[in-house]
Amino acid sequence: MKTIYNKLLFLILLFPLSVLAQGTLSGTVVDKASNQPIPGVNVVVQGTQNGTATDFDGKFTLSNVPKAAVIEFSFLGFKTLTFPYNGEKTITISLEEDSAQLDEVVVIGYGSVKKKDATGSVTQLAAKDFNKGANVTVENLLSGRVAGLTINAGGGAPGSGSQIRIRGGSSLSASNDPLIVIDGLPITNTTNVGSTSILASLNPNDIESFNILKDASASAIYGARAANGVIIITTKKGGKKLAIDYNFQYGSGQVQNKLDVLNSSRYQAFIQQNHPDRFNQLGIINPNITDDPSTPINEAQQLFNTDWQDAIYRNTDFVDNNVSIRGELFKFLPAKLTFGNTYQEGLRLTNQFTRNNVNMALNPKFFDNHLKINVSGTYSSEKNRFANQVEGTAIRFDPTKPVYNPYSNNFSGFFEYENPSDPTGLAAQSPRNPVADLLQTNDQGTNRRFLGNFEIDYKFHFFPALRAVVNFGFDESKGIRTIRKGTVGVGSSEVLNNEFIGTNIEDEDIRRNKLLDAYFVYNKEFGKVNLEATAGYSYQRFEFSGFRSGNRQNPTAVESFPASPDEVLLGYFARTNIGINDKYLFTFAMRRDGTSRFSEENRWGNFPSAAFAWKINEDFLKESKFVSDLKLRLGWGISGQQAIPVGDFYLPRYSTGLLNSQYSFNGVAVQVGVPQSYNPNLKWEETTSYNAGFDYGLFDGKVSGSVDAFYKLTDDLFFDSTPYADGSNFGNQGPANGGSFSTKGIEFNLNADVINTDNFNWNVNFNATTFQRRIESLPGGGADQFLGDAGAGVGGTSQINQVGFTPSSFYVYKQLYNPDGSAAEGAFADLDGNGIINGDDRYIYKNPDPDAIFGFSSNMKYKNFDFSFFLRASIGNRILNQVTAARAYSNFAVNNDGQLANIPSSFTNNQFDVLTNESLLSDVNVENGSFLRMDNITLGHTFPKWLEGKASVRLFAGVQNAFIITKYSGIDPEINGGLDNTIYPRQRQFLFGANVKF
Amino acid sequence: MKKIKFNLFFLLFATTVFVSCENDLEITPENPNVFLSEEFFASENAYQKGLAGVYGNLSLTGVEGPGSSNIGGIDAGTSQYGRCLLYLQNLTTDEMIWSYEGDGGVRELQRNVWTASNPVIRGMFSRAMFQVALCNEYLRQTTPEKLSSRGVTNQQELTNISDYRNEIKALRALAYYHLMDLFGKAAFNTEDQPVAVAGEQYNRQQLFDYLESELTAIIPTLKAPRSNESGRLDQAFARMILAKMYLNAEVYTGQNRYQDCMTQCEAIIAGGYTLEVNYLDNFRADNDTSTEMIFSLQSDGDVTQNFGPTTVMINGSVGSLELNGASLGVGAGGWGGAIRLRKQFVEKFNGSDFDFDARKTLSGGGERSLDILDISNRAQGYILAKYSNLSSTGIPGSNSTFVNTDFPLFRLADVYLMYAEAQMRNDGATNTNNSANASSQSLGYINALRERANDGNFANVTTGQVTLDFILDERSRELHWEAHRRQDLIRFGKYTGGNYNWAWKGNAPNGVAISSNLNLFPIPSLAIVANPNLTQNPGY
Repeated sequence: MKTIYNKLLFLILLFPLSVLAQGTLSGTVVDKASNQPIPGVNVVVQGTQNGTATDFDGKFTLSNVPKAAVIEFSFLGFKTLTFPYNGEKTITISLEEDSAQLDEVVVIGYGSVKKKDATGSVTQLAAKDFNKGANVTVENLLSGRVAGLTINAGGGAPGSGSQIRIRGGSSLSASNDPLIVIDGLPITNTTNVGSTSILASLNPNDIESFNILKDASASAIYGARAANGVIIITTKKGGKKLAIDYNFQYGSGQVQNKLDVLNSSRYQAFIQQNHPDRFNQLGIINPNITDDPSTPINEAQQLFNTDWQDAIYRNTDFVDNNVSIRGELFKFLPAKLTFGNTYQEGLRLTNQFTRNNVNMALNPKFFDNHLKINVSGTYSSEKNRFANQVEGTAIRFDPTKPVYNPYSNNFSGFFEYENPSDPTGLAAQSPRNPVADLLQTNDQGTNRRFLGNFEIDYKFHFFPALRAVVNFGFDESKGIRTIRKGTVGVGSSEVLNNEFIGTNIEDEDIRRNKLLDAYFVYNKEFGKVNLEATAGYSYQRFEFSGFRSGNRQNPTAVESFPASPDEVLLGYFARTNIGINDKYLFTFAMRRDGTSRFSEENRWGNFPSAAFAWKINEDFLKESKFVSDLKLRLGWGISGQQAIPVGDFYLPRYSTGLLNSQYSFNGVAVQVGVPQSYNPNLKWEETTSYNAGFDYGLFDGKVSGSVDAFYKLTDDLFFDSTPYADGSNFGNQGPANGGSFSTKGIEFNLNADVINTDNFNWNVNFNATTFQRRIESLPGGGADQFLGDAGAGVGGTSQINQVGFTPSSFYVYKQLYNPDGSAAEGAFADLDGNGIINGDDRYIYKNPDPDAIFGFSSNMKYKNFDFSFFLRASIGNRILNQVTAARAYSNFAVNNDGQLANIPSSFTNNQFDVLTNESLLSDVNVENGSFLRMDNITLGHTFPKWLEGKASVRLFAGVQNAFIITKYSGIDPEINGGLDNTIYPRQRQFLFGANVKF
Repeated sequence: MKKIKFNLFFLLFATTVFVSCENDLEITPENPNVFLSEEFFASENAYQKGLAGVYGNLSLTGVEGPGSSNIGGIDAGTSQYGRCLLYLQNLTTDEMIWSYEGDGGVRELQRNVWTASNPVIRGMFSRAMFQVALCNEYLRQTTPEKLSSRGVTNQQELTNISDYRNEIKALRALAYYHLMDLFGKAAFNTEDQPVAVAGEQYNRQQLFDYLESELTAIIPTLKAPRSNESGRLDQAFARMILAKMYLNAEVYTGQNRYQDCMTQCEAIIAGGYTLEVNYLDNFRADNDTSTEMIFSLQSDGDVTQNFGPTTVMINGSVGSLELNGASLGVGAGGWGGAIRLRKQFVEKFNGSDFDFDARKTLSGGGERSLDILDISNRAQGYILAKYSNLSSTGIPGSNSTFVNTDFPLFRLADVYLMYAEAQMRNDGATNTNNSANASSQSLGYINALRERANDGNFANVTTGQVTLDFILDERSRELHWEAHRRQDLIRFGKYTGGNYNWAWKGNAPNGVAISSNLNLFPIPSLAIVANPNLTQNPGY
């Protein structure tokens, strides 16, 4: 009632103005970019209630316009335009799209806040800032764009997921993955079977914005899951204006970098010099030629020149089609519908990724906008054909051997090392032809996923300062993976009783994720104080069950039905934002979370946070021409981490053995029942984080950005291999909390409109991050933890967690050198001086963390041309080159069973002969992996009036992964974890495409 | 009004949801192979399954196949009980060398340069202590109170469970015996302690005393020799532990107990075991039927798959040049020559005496050298063909990697040689001229083994030939690759020091003296971290 009264009062007060009306104006409103009419634009005489809206053809008529009145044209998503009326009869108004408008509101979880009022360290990336080019999965849109955020796919498998880290993560051995929230629904970070990654089913074209909550003052509202930061993904909503977008992209890719191994002729020379007795093993024997025993060489030997890396790779196609339709259904229901189809081939033969995707959004409003309903749903079907990692075999395979054996039909004509005395006909210890491995393996995955939410946002009629929001979320994936190999002539097929039995494996997973959030928001101004308060409740349940067939060709294979206990999370949360004088801003938040992963005693945790911001330029610098904006932000908060790999470890449990793990009494196999270790004391990891930062704007906002310094400390670290007192539990190690870990760093971000004229625009964005992670204490009295695969053999390690050092530092032997500076084979420093070289002589040498990472993007627009590129760099990251460490030895050229094998050309660096436990872990192979990568270059041209002005089209061409500059000797220094034991290479793609707007 | 109704409905709905949900935090395992403890014991045959779990720990590394492990810090397959034992008892001596020194911990073991962080040493300590934990749990779960609370009243089942409990105590004793021998100490946990309480440290004397009284007490409760169902232990098993403790008592406690050793050996022999006619039938795919087997660690290509000692030795002993896997019932190339012999062991069979000895299964010559100068070169060093995955009638086991051959932990031939040695040492300790003479009974035992190995065509050895050093060599000829060698060499003072050097001992190609502290393995550094009651052995 009160509102209606106010409105009436307002109307009465304004009434007299309309009496002075004098003229009538009509016209058309069009989009400046496309020249298309815009329906639904508000046309109002400023300071009056006199207004109208444009019709479907963008036309309007406004009567009673007084002379010298100012007419305002406004429409969501466009810059508001004012027009001084001077008695014109008809006009055409061009509205310019306002991409900056989106920036003004940042999403912070259970609500949003104006960017100028944000107190936490939050970065928003809207569509215009996304990476361009061939981005198959959504996280690639973000890569390198945000200070403090690293996204690394670690290789080039199509659709593969990336390691995503915000500020380096907060955990040592539990998950470092940030929480990802899609339209209010937090999703699991476990990839479903048959899928390539958790985000692979999303269509990048559906994404409206990312909001990255980096510090705990922003993320703590997500409580127990927020320690690694939060990425909030918002999908595109329905609009009032009818708009049809069609995007097409084609890419052609090829291998950019291969590992340098000896080619056929160099290899022949190498064998002649180093293994002369094996020279007659080169190539294959031509049965049609007889050997002349009087000559030292075998005349029947036929040498080939095979580049096995060329043989396993191919040129790839990438096709991406996307149609998006936005508009109002039944004249009141804003809706959006998109269809997406993505097809990306991998470099490895047979490897491909296909995704079909439908997304629908409905965003109606009822009762004078008091009730808003947002519905969105995505159904996607992802199809993969996976390819085995054959790089290791390809670089090892003798280059004088052919891919296909011209003289034998065994093994489907593929060359294989044969041994007639082995019942399988294959030489057991020799590598298998990697091309045959790829072509003879049919490894397919599908993942069907429905993800959607239904949100009701109701502003109370009797109390408009209060809103209630309820959000239901649902996410279900069903994945199937089938691996099949034949029984005849298949090199990598399973062998049973000396016979190939083939492979027929089927795995299925169903994952379900249900969410209910309900919260109230109260928003009111009290004089100079602006108060917003949010309080609510969240319930979420994750379910998982699966099926593993085992190899059905093997009669002893065992079917199993893995399942996880449901994971249930409850949270109660409250947050208030208080603004005083529009200068001093305070945020306080509190969340209380409960999880099913811990025992009743440790189940609940409290996660508080507080932040303060001061708009300095409102008090000082008001007159400054230089500084247009300056805001100080201080934040503190505690957030948690509960994503430990085991859901029921606090409960005493027994496991029964599979059929191949039994024990026989009287010759009858009995299933074993074995108690499992358990730990009822498991609890959250807790991360306390501090953040201080400035948001700045210079030269009237032409230059803007932020600087943040942060420190975070994680306590009660979770270690899943904490040593247990032997004999006291059912295992010698397992999950426990203990130890602490800190990260400190600085982030810098700058956005500049270098040139901004009618015809020429140039915008650049630069970000830089540096951080240092350090282990403060470890459980069990600070005992070192050994980790990281050694790179060859079983059971060895190459990395260490030691107090005072960066996690996963390399733990290696110190190589000794000859007087001429070359590495002395087999000579290592006896660091403990006891005369024996053993594991105690290792030392910490460097770590995989970069000293600094940078991103630089440039966007230029000249008339209808646009040109952009994006560079990324990493400085100081180290890599243990395990390809060299484990393979670059002259003796490695002979296999276990005496067959020849190729070695990396890096053999010539050290000229080592024999692989030893120490040379495998020599510091000589820890290399600097700094790099500068040109991720994407795109050149486009827009034709604004296509089809007689009914549409606009932009054509573009680009290069994805154009080049990389690095001193690293391996294929690609951009790997995860610092251990390079061959990777799936990234491809370089040439792209063409079109964006059409109707 | 409509709106208010809607609001009320919404509030009511929300409240209901809030309240009912906190109970959802109580969850149960959903994996069909995982049960809450009480749920497990309510299931059918749970007590037999639990027993199989404890016995199974001597063969299996985990419940999910040969690649799984219930202990960590070591490669899953390598963590098998018998394999760790084999590595520590054989790989550190003259009998065996492993080609792939990149495998965690192997290089340090076979070159006698190990440290307290060696994964195999930790694997042995943890696997044996895990066995103790399993035994204690079984005893806790089978107390009369527990059984009655679960309504177990069937008399037959109660009798069975009582038998199971006694066997469990003997299995626990075996684990403590191995810890005493290898590490000289252990964390002492019993069923009286709750889970997750670190045990006190027991030194060698304490363990010796405990084992002696425990085994003596349970022997009468165990089944008579050869009367239990196969796969389960009996009195002879317990006596075997006692006999070995007594034989090595001087090393363990400084006091000799040779007479007690003889007594136990005689009791075992009286149990009715007889030598298997064909020596090699003890090491073949059907060796579970051997008449001289007192206890073996099961392996089966279908139902008990593991990377235990027999799978490793059979696949590993296939020569890289010979590709003789088919003759051993595994893949032709086996593991490409993973295991070879050191020269000093090969020389134990020097001389025409052994030309037809069935125990001499080694081969070499030609391209294959006797000396090993480069451990990674698999053409150096002789190979052995003692173990096989073919049955006594030549039928290959069901799986060409995971063998059907059981690992002979205790067998009669060992008892014969133990008796002879104890008798001679006892003689040497008691007679006045300090000479150790073999009795006719001892000679009989030794010659029985030699005759068996030579189809009865062997000239018997005589008192003059049989010295203690002869016994040591004969033990190696008879019992090599059966996890005895290190213990034997220590008893003869030849493991550490420089009395006897073999190839690569002390990390030198021809062998050098090593420090006497290596007679004991170090307590794994992480075991001390987790249990501060434990102290490190001297010299580490």
